[in-house]
Amino acid sequence: MQHAFKIRDVEHAVGLSRSPDGYRLHLGERCLEFRLQPGEQGDLVLQCGGTVDHLRVAVDGDDVWIHLDGETHCLRFEHALQRLAELNEAAGADVIKAAMPGSLVSLGVAAGDSVHKGQTLLVMESMKMETTIVAPRDGVVAEVRLAPGQTFDKDAVLLSLEPVAGE
Amino acid sequence: MNWPFDTVLVANRGEIAVRILRTVQALGLKGAVVYHAADAKSPAVALADQALPITGDTPVAAYLDGAQIIAAAREAGAGAIHPGYGFLSENADFARAVEAAGIAFVGPKPDQIELMGDKVRARAFVEQAGFPVAPSAIEDDDPASFVERARQVPFPILIKPAAGGGGKGMRVVRDPAMLEGEIERARSEGQRYFGDGRLYVERYIENPRHIEVQVMGDTHGNVVHVFERECSVQRRFQKIIEETPSPALDEPLRRKICDTAAGIARSIGYRNAGTVEFIFGQGGEFYFLETNTRLQVEHPVTEQITGIDLVEVQLKVAAGEALPFEQDDIQSRGHAIEFRIYAEDAAAGFTPTTGPVLMLRAPQGEGLRLDAGIREGQAVTAAFDPMLAKLVVTGADRAEARARADSALRDMVLLGCQTNIGFLRRVLNHPAFAAGEVHTGFLDANPELAAEPELSPATRERLLAVAAAMTKPLRDIADTVPDLHSAMGDWRN
Repeated sequence: MQHAFKIRDVEHAVGLSRSPDGYRLHLGERCLEFRLQPGEQGDLVLQCGGTVDHLRVAVDGDDVWIHLDGETHCLRFEHALQRLAELNEAAGADVIKAAMPGSLVSLGVAAGDSVHKGQTLLVMESMKMETTIVAPRDGVVAEVRLAPGQTFDKDAVLLSLEPVAGE
Repeated sequence: MNWPFDTVLVANRGEIAVRILRTVQALGLKGAVVYHAADAKSPAVALADQALPITGDTPVAAYLDGAQIIAAAREAGAGAIHPGYGFLSENADFARAVEAAGIAFVGPKPDQIELMGDKVRARAFVEQAGFPVAPSAIEDDDPASFVERARQVPFPILIKPAAGGGGKGMRVVRDPAMLEGEIERARSEGQRYFGDGRLYVERYIENPRHIEVQVMGDTHGNVVHVFERECSVQRRFQKIIEETPSPALDEPLRRKICDTAAGIARSIGYRNAGTVEFIFGQGGEFYFLETNTRLQVEHPVTEQITGIDLVEVQLKVAAGEALPFEQDDIQSRGHAIEFRIYAEDAAAGFTPTTGPVLMLRAPQGEGLRLDAGIREGQAVTAAFDPMLAKLVVTGADRAEARARADSALRDMVLLGCQTNIGFLRRVLNHPAFAAGEVHTGFLDANPELAAEPELSPATRERLLAVAAAMTKPLRDIADTVPDLHSAMGDWRN
């Protein structure tokens, strides 16, 4: 499964796997081998692509703070559900799909309702986290396929909006 | 020496409380500090011999509650109160109440605080004593002749609302023909912003520098200066980098501005530590701006080049001692620069930031001093001023101080809360700063300094690699199949 981090509000999708003596970072087609080990002064030593860096790292929930080359950066781990919510918002999509298996907690709308952008459509739960899904654009709810309490699989269509007239 | 008090109460918080307590304890005295619950985990509370809780509707209100602080001083058996800077440090009524309670106020006499706190009175006093103030015309002196008098001030001039502040309603006039129209517009703005249309004008100094002079007086009539500080790098009217000596002054000019400051302080019979601030024009002309009747945030640079502990001298003066030196005993050696480390987002207009201090590592090396009011595990909250610490770098000359500052800012680690450290380093390395050619509008004229530099792809990849390896959900997924990957790797190799 792809995960993502935000650096200064820009999202970067990554994957992580093991290599014989460390990890591999997957960035789209690109694959980067690296090792991350404790240093001698409470720092971390990163070996990556022939370079060695000493860095300081602190993790606070979803935030990973990194001091590297004299600069401090904060990378925020983006949970998959949250990403889905934001992707739908950004895309102005007609259908709301599940990013992972879960269950519906509550519904805020019914078929035929007019909704405005940003209005809460439903609340879902997955991996013990609740996520609010909001309308990606103004429109009318075409169909709601689930009732509260029902479970769903990854990529299931949870709700759809009427297509925008004229398109 | 024989101290008339054995305990000093620090009526402040953060880095300055720590800095004062250090000297108090080094002198063999006991240090007490007041604290609001929000500061219970602060280094000052940990360092103090006694810490006394104070309360208030807000944390700031607690530190402004003079009666509560005097009661705490009595409880601690403190014979002196050091107010630090900010809060009650320039409150004449507080100073008066402290002395009425039989406690020594570590600062100027209350009437000196009062006189210097009133900018119009202070300016008139300084002018009367024969020292330079910017040429000006004040409407209230004689409203009928105001326009005529304003025309006599050398142009360009600045029109200011008498009731104003924060730059609102101010207008620069370069052409005398425009004067009357601009006065009318400034009057209507003053009326709108402050409900008061009265004005004054003063000579406008283009791209001025801010140069101030440390002064020190005792109760025996001695007053000296302890050299100047240049504080021209400012954002939102607040200093962020200060240094001494000023790169703008040659030796005769330096002597002139320092002697002027000492003269102003002497004419008031100034007691304890103070700072006389000047506005300094590009032609070398300078005018009295105001006097700060307290220890300044930026006092450490002065200490670094003179070897004088200003807090120690303050305490001795408060104890009734004469100054431990004469003017000629005070020598300046080397160059010192202070960087104010703020919890703020420079790229977002210097807005304050908050967060837990997850990791704090002071840079190591020669000539470094870090005055910090925070420690690991403490949270930076929006309750107080966002200044977290001051990095003070000293070198044999300005070039050495700058080089050491560059390494120190690179090595300073503060994780968990966004700070201006990277921004300070960009300012340090700007060609104009390197050449010592800055003025108070420098940051406004160079807004690109506040922007975050682009991340290189290589840096971005390294950051993502570290973040991925430090994030449990990703590591868990990767680690569920380590053997298979290892085996495949071995097999492929």
